[in-house]
Amino acid sequence: MSATPQAPAGSRAPATRDSDWLATASRILFWPVMVLTLLLVTIPTYILVKVSISRPAELLTQHPTFWIWQPTFKHWEGVLGSPELWAPLWKSLAVATLTTVVAVAIAAPAAYVIARMPKSLRYTTILGLLVTRMFPDVLIALPVAVTFIKMGLLDTVPGLVLAHLIANLPFLAWILVGTFEMIPQALEEAATVDGCSRFEALMRVVFPAALPGIMVGAMFVWLNSWNEFTYAMYLSTATKTLPLQTYFYQAKGSWFDSAAYATVLTIPVVIITFALQRYLVSGSLSGAVKG
Amino acid sequence: MRRCLRSLLCLAVLAGCARAGEQSPDQAMPGDAGGKTVLTFYTALGQAEWKVLREEVIPPFEQAQNCVVRSINVESGEMGRKLHALKQGGAMDVDVIGQDNMALWLLVQQDLMEDLSAYEHTIPPETIDALVNVGRFNGKLYFMPYRPNVEITYYNETYLNKHGLKPPEDWDQLFDTARTLHQREGVGRVAVKADGTAGATVHYFDFVNAAGGDPLTLNDTGCKRAFSFLKELWPYLSPESRRADFNTMNQFLAMESVYLGQNWPFGIEVIVNQGEKKDIKAYHGWRGPVREAHTLGGEVLGIPKGAPHKDLALKFVSHMQSKATQTMLVQRLAWPPMREDAYAEVPAWQKPYFKAVKEALAHAIARPNVPYWEDFDKAINLAAREIFLDRADVTATLDKYAAQLEAAKQRKSAP
Repeated sequence: MSATPQAPAGSRAPATRDSDWLATASRILFWPVMVLTLLLVTIPTYILVKVSISRPAELLTQHPTFWIWQPTFKHWEGVLGSPELWAPLWKSLAVATLTTVVAVAIAAPAAYVIARMPKSLRYTTILGLLVTRMFPDVLIALPVAVTFIKMGLLDTVPGLVLAHLIANLPFLAWILVGTFEMIPQALEEAATVDGCSRFEALMRVVFPAALPGIMVGAMFVWLNSWNEFTYAMYLSTATKTLPLQTYFYQAKGSWFDSAAYATVLTIPVVIITFALQRYLVSGSLSGAVKG
Repeated sequence: MRRCLRSLLCLAVLAGCARAGEQSPDQAMPGDAGGKTVLTFYTALGQAEWKVLREEVIPPFEQAQNCVVRSINVESGEMGRKLHALKQGGAMDVDVIGQDNMALWLLVQQDLMEDLSAYEHTIPPETIDALVNVGRFNGKLYFMPYRPNVEITYYNETYLNKHGLKPPEDWDQLFDTARTLHQREGVGRVAVKADGTAGATVHYFDFVNAAGGDPLTLNDTGCKRAFSFLKELWPYLSPESRRADFNTMNQFLAMESVYLGQNWPFGIEVIVNQGEKKDIKAYHGWRGPVREAHTLGGEVLGIPKGAPHKDLALKFVSHMQSKATQTMLVQRLAWPPMREDAYAEVPAWQKPYFKAVKEALAHAIARPNVPYWEDFDKAINLAAREIFLDRADVTATLDKYAAQLEAAKQRKSAP
């Protein structure tokens, strides 16, 4: 018979006190942290946009103004009217989107298979995937570019897509293995009991359940490909990608044009992120399988 | 999920196919050439410069030679990598390159360029002599002159007037200007490029030459005199000096954190034209105790090994060197000409700046092409860092790095 110490009347258990304290602290800190984070994220973007629509006199002084007082669209007219914007923009868009589609199409089934392997084999396979990423891109870019040139892939969208897959496929597969591991195998078994074939269970149950993870991976690949520089530099000549074109303006010292190009570079990123964020929901599997 | 995948696929198809036929102005594909020979030309220019080249300089050549010039912007830092990849891939399609003369060694070292010594006689006799030597390596001519350039000195007229100062003409005046501005404003307003990169090397090169030294010795009397002066000047210089390169110097001048500094003439377009800073003026610069000196920069033309149309490429080089082309480049872009007989009126607003460039060019000194340039670049910047920042002894520091450089010279000249 043991006597459990009783908390004195009117006092609460330490665990409860701790959780109360944490709840109070998070209630107090939530908005300041949220506002600070928002400012850290939005101010650089604001400055970028501001530079692109500012008159030189507003910026080129010892004390540039923070707010936009007299906006001008002169720089934007120049950039949007320039034939050197549209081809790189479309090329970047095509490369990033195709890379994402192909990467997901290859990595998702592969990751599912890896996730269902025995633990030791799964670990070795994942490690094998990541070993391919141990070499920095700058080191392997030249031999890759030479091989692609020999294959006639210089200055082509497929060439750049293939190059971007080298960097993105292993990471995407790694991310998705984690996602598929979280999906209970019982869910597939339940689907097969309900009359689904293995393939139907995969398409109708497993992949939809893995959608948040797939979308995170897709966003990761799209953003990586959109911003990629090293392979684009080797494999783009006549039609550059947008990051290369922005670098070209930056190298020429044109601040206002660079800012406008950088803003163009940012817009699709914002759109894609907002479009895909609705898939980023947690807890979608809670209660999926009843015990 | 299907809807999502469908959207992504639609986007890919739209992006990839809808504009499949669109081409950047950077290109004129062989398919467009109507059976004519396509000459590919790589160089790095600004948008306004490309416009003049594509609309006024290249068309007469295309017409005369019945060919199409495919002109592509490639930054000088990228050029080596591009040519190397094309050569390795056995797909060299570049006929002519225009390259910054400060970035030539790597191309020669990697055996990417044709030896043009046999065509030296095609260089017009009116060409400024110093320009030809820039393209010579180990006695062989790899590059042809095309566009000389030199750093000029920019100053903020409003602030200099406010402090009753004039642009310095010699080292003493430079020191007084830097000290006066530092005393009156509490912070240095004169900048020297000292960011530890190739741009800083050009500035040290000029100071040593102006003191009568040979920069490549690193420790002769002129070197010691120049570094002693810079050590004395350092406390009065702008703190921006440590970040000043060819790009940031424009920014510092335009944003008025620096009132006096040297940079390449492209700053005229960036600061004065695009930045609308009409009170930023320019002049040739200051003289040292022995002479005025400016490192000769600019661009040269070369033909990569394996170029598909070498004969046409040589004709293109001659076209770019011709009196008519050089005159047009003066007139339309205010580029200083490579020939002594190419004169033209530049646009009115550019006249004082063009004068500054021409006067500075009169004191231009070609940088020697030596295989140990990389070691020299590193040594002079490390020495500068120790002398300016750590206040190390000038003679001892330069002697130390001169010994290291000597070892590198021996190593690189060994068979």
